[in-house]
Amino acid sequence: MGHIVDPDRAISESKVRLAPGAARMVGALLMAVGAVALVITVVMMATAKDAATQYQALAAYHVGFMTVMAPTLGALVFVMIFQQVNAGWAALLRRQFENVLSMVVPCLFLFVGLGLLSTFFGPLWKWMDPEFVSGDVMYEVKKPFLNTTFFYVRAGVYFTIWTVLATMLRRYSIQQDETGDPWLTAKARRMSSYGLLLFALTTGFASFDWLMSLDHHWFSTMFGVYYFAETAGSSLALCTLIFLVLRQRGYLQDLVTVEHFHDLGKLLFGFTVFWAYIGFSQYFLIWYANIPEETAWFALRKNGGWEAYTFWLVVGRFVVPFFILMPRPFRRNKLILGFACAWILFFHGLDMFWLVRPEATVEVGAHIFERMPFSWLDITGILGPVGIYLGLLMFRIASGPLVPLKDPRLPESLAHKNYV
Amino acid sequence: MATHTEYTSESGEPIWGIFGEFKDPSAIYHGAEIVRDAGVKKWDVHSPFPIHGMDEAMGLSGPKVGYLVAFGGMLGASGAMLMQWYMNAYDYKFIVADKPFFAWEQFLPVTFELGVLISAFFAIFGMLALNKLPMFYHPLFKKERFLRASDDGFFIAIEARDSTFNPEKSRELLERAGAFNIELVEE
Repeated sequence: MGHIVDPDRAISESKVRLAPGAARMVGALLMAVGAVALVITVVMMATAKDAATQYQALAAYHVGFMTVMAPTLGALVFVMIFQQVNAGWAALLRRQFENVLSMVVPCLFLFVGLGLLSTFFGPLWKWMDPEFVSGDVMYEVKKPFLNTTFFYVRAGVYFTIWTVLATMLRRYSIQQDETGDPWLTAKARRMSSYGLLLFALTTGFASFDWLMSLDHHWFSTMFGVYYFAETAGSSLALCTLIFLVLRQRGYLQDLVTVEHFHDLGKLLFGFTVFWAYIGFSQYFLIWYANIPEETAWFALRKNGGWEAYTFWLVVGRFVVPFFILMPRPFRRNKLILGFACAWILFFHGLDMFWLVRPEATVEVGAHIFERMPFSWLDITGILGPVGIYLGLLMFRIASGPLVPLKDPRLPESLAHKNYV
Repeated sequence: MATHTEYTSESGEPIWGIFGEFKDPSAIYHGAEIVRDAGVKKWDVHSPFPIHGMDEAMGLSGPKVGYLVAFGGMLGASGAMLMQWYMNAYDYKFIVADKPFFAWEQFLPVTFELGVLISAFFAIFGMLALNKLPMFYHPLFKKERFLRASDDGFFIAIEARDSTFNPEKSRELLERAGAFNIELVEE
């Protein structure tokens, strides 16, 4: 039976605040690794003799950027859903999602870096090269939308919307820690209503712009949803992992319990299936219709060395977590759930790699393309954005209370329980 | 119905068990904990609505229907794949849009749907079987008072086939658990 818990008595400072200095060492280390990797990538790009190596390094950086952009956007949508539907159970969990979503500002800088690198050493998006697309009829019809100026204007609009939503939603929550004003919850809720609509549009278009337009001939109306499936799954996995590590380090005892982990595991399971469902829906229609301009994208990923990668991606991103997260006892086991989260995050990165990297090809003759072999540039390029992002996230987590302190829904969240 | 017990009532009828009434959900919740701790195994709690946490108070193990559903899902999915392979790729080879005979892609929607359908059958019929439904007769229905279990009554019934059952001792146990209007039930 649910017992009413008084938040003021349940929450003590030692449980909800990291010890001074904690997490900062790891954070600094991650940032250092990221910075070194980034410097190596940029130096290699700048000193490379051939365009192929430059493109490869650029593509790897892009993989890293999209990998960290996904949990940020996923955290944004989860914070807004929690606020919008008045989710009582998740009130305690919201702060870590807010921490992740506040990483949208570092992501903005990562994107600016990507834009600059693409301008000097690219372009990453091949249609930005006027020579490459000259006489390309399929590009000409898309030009009013897909041109460099409008591309960066759109990116500016996306980041403006995300930054405003992220900053305001987090600020309301932080302010409430001090004032306890319940009206801040109402404000956050109102903002979430139109925020969700804006999120759906901006995330969809951002994935069209940044990922789908890597092959500007190809189009799939499902692509925005596919990227959304990754954002939702990766943010859940990342936040669950943060809570598991915090619990393991002795924080949040009796606050975030196995009941919360159980529900996070259910959501993670759901979005794992969702990813497979969307991925298959996209593939199935293109496979069945068999129109060359659509199948080209999958043909690139089912031939020439990528077929095994594609197969194991489906196994790793769907089949394995599907069976790990299905039994109830597994979702309530912190070790198994943590393993599943780390596993999903790893395969989330591999999925981003799968979206971007096959596009890195060299033109060896007239319209004859050859794939670029893997190199250590693929690793440094990815490690740069990921390391910096995770390092900054560590500092962000250490900067304040680990849970909202005066959310009006706290008693409900503290008493949360799964009845069978 | 087979007789499970040597006890008989005053009229000579075999005894099915004993049941008592409780005031409200809170009372029956704590009553169930006492009966559970007394080591009684064959008993049940009857209430007009689900009471959160009652499975724990009764010491029940987790639900088993999920395993049946998982089995049903795998049976349905693999059966569907096998069926389509047999029909379109083995028994009567069928060319569709120049695809391979056994193209897993085109078989997946049916595989998914049949997996869902069979797991749903296992869920509903497995639930009925585990609950021993449909049940057309139950000794407790002879008691006019018990009909309130679907309205505003809360009851605990201990069956005579339980190893700890004894008309006097079980009555004492129910009293200790906070029950009133305790009555023996004939089969």
